[in-house]
Amino acid sequence: GTVTDKANAMPLPGVNVIVKGTSRGTSTDFDGNYTLELSDGETVVVSYLGYTTQEIIYSGQSRLDVALVEDAAQLDEVILIGYGTTTVKDATGSVESVTAKDFTRGNIVTPENLLAGRVAGVNITSDGGRPGASGTIRIRGGSSINASNDPLIVIDGLPISNDNVNGSRGILSTINPNDIESFSILKDASATAIYGSRAANGVIIIVTKKGRDSFSADIDTQFSFGENFNEIDVFSGDEFRDLVNSQPINGTTLDTSLLGTENTDWQDEIFRNTVSAIHNITLRGSLFNALPTRFSFGTTRQEGALITSLNERRNLSLSLNPSLFDDHLKINVNANMAFEDNRFANAGEIGAALRYDPTQPVMDGNPDFGGFYQHVDANGLVQNGTTNPVYNLVFRDDLGDVNRVFGNINLDYNFHFLPELRAVLNLGYDRSESRTSIEARFATQDNVSRESSSAFQERTNESLDGFLTYTRDLGDFGFDVTGGYSYQRFANSGSFTGNILDPQAVGDNFADPDVVLIGFFGRANLSLYDKYRLTLNYRRDGTSRFSEENQWGDFWSVAGAWQISDEDFLKDSNTISNLKLRASYGLTGQQDIGARDIFLRRLRRGRPDSVFQFGNVPIQTLLPSALNPDLKWEETSTLEFGIDYGLFNNRISGTLGVFLRTTDDLLFDAPVADGSNFTNNIVQNIGSLETRGLEFSIDASVVNNDNVNWNLNFNATFLDREITQLAFGQDVTTGGIGGGTGNFIQIQREGEAPNSFYVFKQLYDANGSPIEGAYADLNGDNIINDEDRYVKENPYPNTTLGFQSNLNYKNFDFSFNLRASLGGYIYNNVNSSRAQYELLQDNAVLGNIPTSVLQTNFQRTSDVIISDLYIENASFLRMDNITLGYTFKDISSVLKSLRIWAGVQNAFIITDYSGLDPEVSLSGGSPGVDNTIFPRQRNFLVGANFKF
Amino acid sequence: CTDDLNIIPNDEDTLLADEAFANEAAYKQLLAGVYANLALTGTDGAGSSNIQGLDAGTSQFGRVLLYLQTLSADQMIWSYENDPGTREIQRNIWTAQNPLILGMFSRSHATIAFANNFLNETTDEKLDSRNVSAGVRAQIVNYRAEARLLRAMSYYYMMDLFGKANFVTETSGINVVPPVIERPELFTFIEEELLAIENDLIDANQNEYGRVDKGVAWMILAKMYLNSEVYIGAPNYDKCLEYCNKILTSSYTLATDYKHNFMADNNTNSATNEIIFPIVSDGATTQNFGPTTVMINGSVGSLEVNGQEVGVTQGGWGGALRVRKQFADLFGGGLFSNDDRNTLITANRPIDITDISDRDTGYIIQKYSNATSTGGFGIDLTFVDTDFPLFRLADVHLMYAEAHLRGGGGTLATAVDLVNDLRTRANNPNLISAGDLTLDFILDERSRELHWEAHRRQDLIRFNRYTGGNYNWAWKGNGSNGISIPAHFDLYPIPNLSLSSNPNLTQNPGY
Repeated sequence: GTVTDKANAMPLPGVNVIVKGTSRGTSTDFDGNYTLELSDGETVVVSYLGYTTQEIIYSGQSRLDVALVEDAAQLDEVILIGYGTTTVKDATGSVESVTAKDFTRGNIVTPENLLAGRVAGVNITSDGGRPGASGTIRIRGGSSINASNDPLIVIDGLPISNDNVNGSRGILSTINPNDIESFSILKDASATAIYGSRAANGVIIIVTKKGRDSFSADIDTQFSFGENFNEIDVFSGDEFRDLVNSQPINGTTLDTSLLGTENTDWQDEIFRNTVSAIHNITLRGSLFNALPTRFSFGTTRQEGALITSLNERRNLSLSLNPSLFDDHLKINVNANMAFEDNRFANAGEIGAALRYDPTQPVMDGNPDFGGFYQHVDANGLVQNGTTNPVYNLVFRDDLGDVNRVFGNINLDYNFHFLPELRAVLNLGYDRSESRTSIEARFATQDNVSRESSSAFQERTNESLDGFLTYTRDLGDFGFDVTGGYSYQRFANSGSFTGNILDPQAVGDNFADPDVVLIGFFGRANLSLYDKYRLTLNYRRDGTSRFSEENQWGDFWSVAGAWQISDEDFLKDSNTISNLKLRASYGLTGQQDIGARDIFLRRLRRGRPDSVFQFGNVPIQTLLPSALNPDLKWEETSTLEFGIDYGLFNNRISGTLGVFLRTTDDLLFDAPVADGSNFTNNIVQNIGSLETRGLEFSIDASVVNNDNVNWNLNFNATFLDREITQLAFGQDVTTGGIGGGTGNFIQIQREGEAPNSFYVFKQLYDANGSPIEGAYADLNGDNIINDEDRYVKENPYPNTTLGFQSNLNYKNFDFSFNLRASLGGYIYNNVNSSRAQYELLQDNAVLGNIPTSVLQTNFQRTSDVIISDLYIENASFLRMDNITLGYTFKDISSVLKSLRIWAGVQNAFIITDYSGLDPEVSLSGGSPGVDNTIFPRQRNFLVGANFKF
Repeated sequence: CTDDLNIIPNDEDTLLADEAFANEAAYKQLLAGVYANLALTGTDGAGSSNIQGLDAGTSQFGRVLLYLQTLSADQMIWSYENDPGTREIQRNIWTAQNPLILGMFSRSHATIAFANNFLNETTDEKLDSRNVSAGVRAQIVNYRAEARLLRAMSYYYMMDLFGKANFVTETSGINVVPPVIERPELFTFIEEELLAIENDLIDANQNEYGRVDKGVAWMILAKMYLNSEVYIGAPNYDKCLEYCNKILTSSYTLATDYKHNFMADNNTNSATNEIIFPIVSDGATTQNFGPTTVMINGSVGSLEVNGQEVGVTQGGWGGALRVRKQFADLFGGGLFSNDDRNTLITANRPIDITDISDRDTGYIIQKYSNATSTGGFGIDLTFVDTDFPLFRLADVHLMYAEAHLRGGGGTLATAVDLVNDLRTRANNPNLISAGDLTLDFILDERSRELHWEAHRRQDLIRFNRYTGGNYNWAWKGNGSNGISIPAHFDLYPIPNLSLSSNPNLTQNPGY
């Protein structure tokens, strides 16, 4: 007979086929075929890792074909962890594995989006709809304030850098999602401590697809069609004429002769419907009948909603996976090349489109500006004010050309004379180089009205890991121990020319100090009666970011698990098929800050435009740089309790976890006594942050029979973050906003969430309308000044929910993903800095403003910009995607199957937020500040998947 | 190979000390770094800053000084009140959270730290160990005196604006919380330092342009003595007059044209003999958002769009700066219609500013310019070439007259002549006679001569016209016609961040 995967009719090699109650059995070959002699009435057990085991009673057939169904919650499913593997059953930590069948679908251009809404505690947000841009990944909200909150990402054993090169759309944007086999997400200290130094924000292990012995080929192709479905309401040309003629600015008379006769919707002019395409070809098979190999080639072309914006990428991936010496030595070689070509459109032009006079045409034939309209005076000189956003986009060619090569060689050797001992050596290399250039023309009065500049950047990341694992099973007692060494070096350098058409502009070469990380690690897993488990982790890590005295840190964790369902009183339960209690506590570290050599006494030369003059001759300056020789590791401890459960033969399964995470010695930018350093603010180890969280997930196989297979997944995360200590108890202002130079809207304050909004309390008149510039005198001193500002809400959601449904009915498949974010708030900087009547005067010209001004009738930006009126609830429910597919099976001997599908991405969003999109960036210096977003489009997708 | 953890900088512009001082030219470059902190905000362009807590460009020393000494008084209005801190400064409603006040406190202390670092790198011990040549060592004697002068000058401004400072010298350790000294100790320290270095400084008006010399030390002493009653409650007008005389008898001369002091070539035209110490600015090599860049771009009118005349973009910054009524009135009455110092532009503008954001109201002036005295323009349309005249001889003329009137000695005839020298230079035929020379006259004449040069708050305090209700100007105390403000506003509050990082600092009374 032949054993196949029920989902796609592909043959399954290596499946165990055993006669029940005997030692007779075999396994399937590369094509899924097996041969076995049987007698009537014998029971055949067909089992394969990750699939539901089937038992079939033999009744004389000549063939016995079996189609195995993948099991979502197999307890013996292998999960990758740091420097090793475990199984669902054996795991003592909070580890979640997401494999291809669970990936979020849709127009997935970068890998992290495969996880969107899929895992409790993992939040993925983009800062808008830029084509090809990587999202920001936060596991449990992040453990730091000023240091990095990015998780460690490990691809096939190569820990990658969280910094990308200029000209690229992000660190993951060069990686082809099609090449990814699975993710493991490590969340608690038990799981992450083995990665010590970089693990405080969790770890994501990415495994790419590998070669197989049997030949197969896949062709994937998809097209998506995007459209904008929302815009910021500003006045139309006719409305604008009426408004300007009504002279709504107190004390200022607008020059109505500046009004034109057109009705231009500038947002329509800068945005477009888009077409994108993704194509992948994958070949798997055995080279020379000995070398399992996978090769893939993918292309992606994505247009941005903003005209001229484009992302193109080509990926080549090769994986060689030979085994030698009777499988004693397994070799995995992964080599990836990515070529990314971007044209960036300046998102600042979105603001210009909101602002530009709607009574003017896009083009008027002015030869000075390529036929585009500009506000010019009688002499043809550009007038002070916003310039034509379409012109600015069309005449700005901002290109990024990124080439990335990354890969690793992994040698995994099981000792011949001592099979319990295994040695693994992993060598990794990652190099990105980018060439960026800008050719632009501006409509300006400045004497430099063109830009021509280029830049080069190169980042490399070299790594070496080696470890030994000794595994022993002594009946009731089993253990394994692992010990190893890890070395990693990151380098970054480059150059830029400055605007070569501007004689005053300067170029420069730059080179960051290298970052070197070295670690020694060990782990012991102990198990007793296969029911009680203990895991101990230890890692000693060194970083080049700190001085010799402080560069080493010790990190560790201890975790235990109790498999209650294997106890006698539950073993035979028909209801509870799996019940495991977990507890863990551990310490991880953080050193990922911008500063790389702040412990060294350095002198910095002034750039050629930043030198001094003695006797009217430029003289090079030398300035000592900020210095902190005492910097040391930020430390995060996590205490976690978890329950893994499975009901009804694991048709329902999931996890419930609670944790308390405390970060101490925060690497925090804090004031230093004036005069005692060469700055007033340096990164120091001061402050504490506490996160309390609860995570819950449930997977349910609602229906599972020959015709219908319906799986549901729901996950929920509740997070509460609070700053418990700051330097000297002092508030730190943060969160820069548009409107004014250097304004801020957020504060770091003890007892509050990070980046809490810090605003004036708006007063309202009897009709409930806000009174312009009238704020509550909160400290009662009869003066309204900065001391009357108060904390109102924060940008981070306290609840995030994800819900997936996957339904297969015969050859149809239907799935959708819903995602909700509740309790976060947003500062509507679009309204706060734009919706005031005085802005109808845009320097020498007229400028448009949002129609929300009609609700407030505010006159002056400076009187209202810090009002709590602009803090809005950012809760939302988003239908990330809906997909419907149909699979044609066994079409011919060559084409095994064909799936065609269609879907809608970003189908709808439900929110009270008055702006364009409540999901704004929650990273960077101004999280939760909406200052015009690059719109996320609604995409309609069609695709086909051919399997040969 | 754990030794790999001990990295060194890779950037060609970042040097370790040993590497840097292998080249003897580094000592002058390190001194230039101390000076540069007055003109630049960082090492990597006008948007970079070595202090934080406020906008990089805004944190330039001369700019925050201008805000604290001029914008906080009766001569200037900033239209864009959404620029943080400006509203509170110009309406006299500031708090310890104000970023501009932080900028002044932190920027000045950074100069102190840079000066201390220079002194530490040029000890005899270090110079011996590096085998520095005799020729360079001889120059280092001057350099060290200049570093100490710049440090003393920073303490002078701290004494004037805050009444106290973190006391950090070359013997203080890095990141060590320093002691705090207040006005009496500051006064003594500055005085002793300036006297101690006098012999090591180059003679007045003899150093390279842009560097300090004896004239600058005398100038600071003269100003300290003039304001001595404010600082330490005891008069020192005789000493003020003594140091004014030292300056007046040196080789300084008034520029041939008042406007030369404020033009793009004030580093080469006749103003070089009047300017005692400039904050250097250059559109190519020393780009900054300092006081001259701000005042030249900012004083382009919203109605006049007169940027081209002063060598910046036509619209400039759209009318960011205007003057208050009380200042404009000083040029009223017909006596000053043709006075060169009167650069008011009044056409189509009401004198009153009832709404600060209405850039069409209130007069504007055209004092500073990025044009040269020979008809050319500065090299850049935003970053001006015009140096900021922090100290200049005309101020000494008026200080002499004031010190004389306040009993510091000298002669009335000299005082009158010195005042009339300024009027004559300004082509104003209305000279004063001995009977006209009163303290009130001097306060007004100082404003006519020295407006927008970061002296006004100090002058008004010395004349007891700043806080209280003796003199109310438009928007003082947040009233459009001006209201009294409490006496504690004679000092600025210690910025919250600075206060928090030094437990030895205490907040000024009233805040």
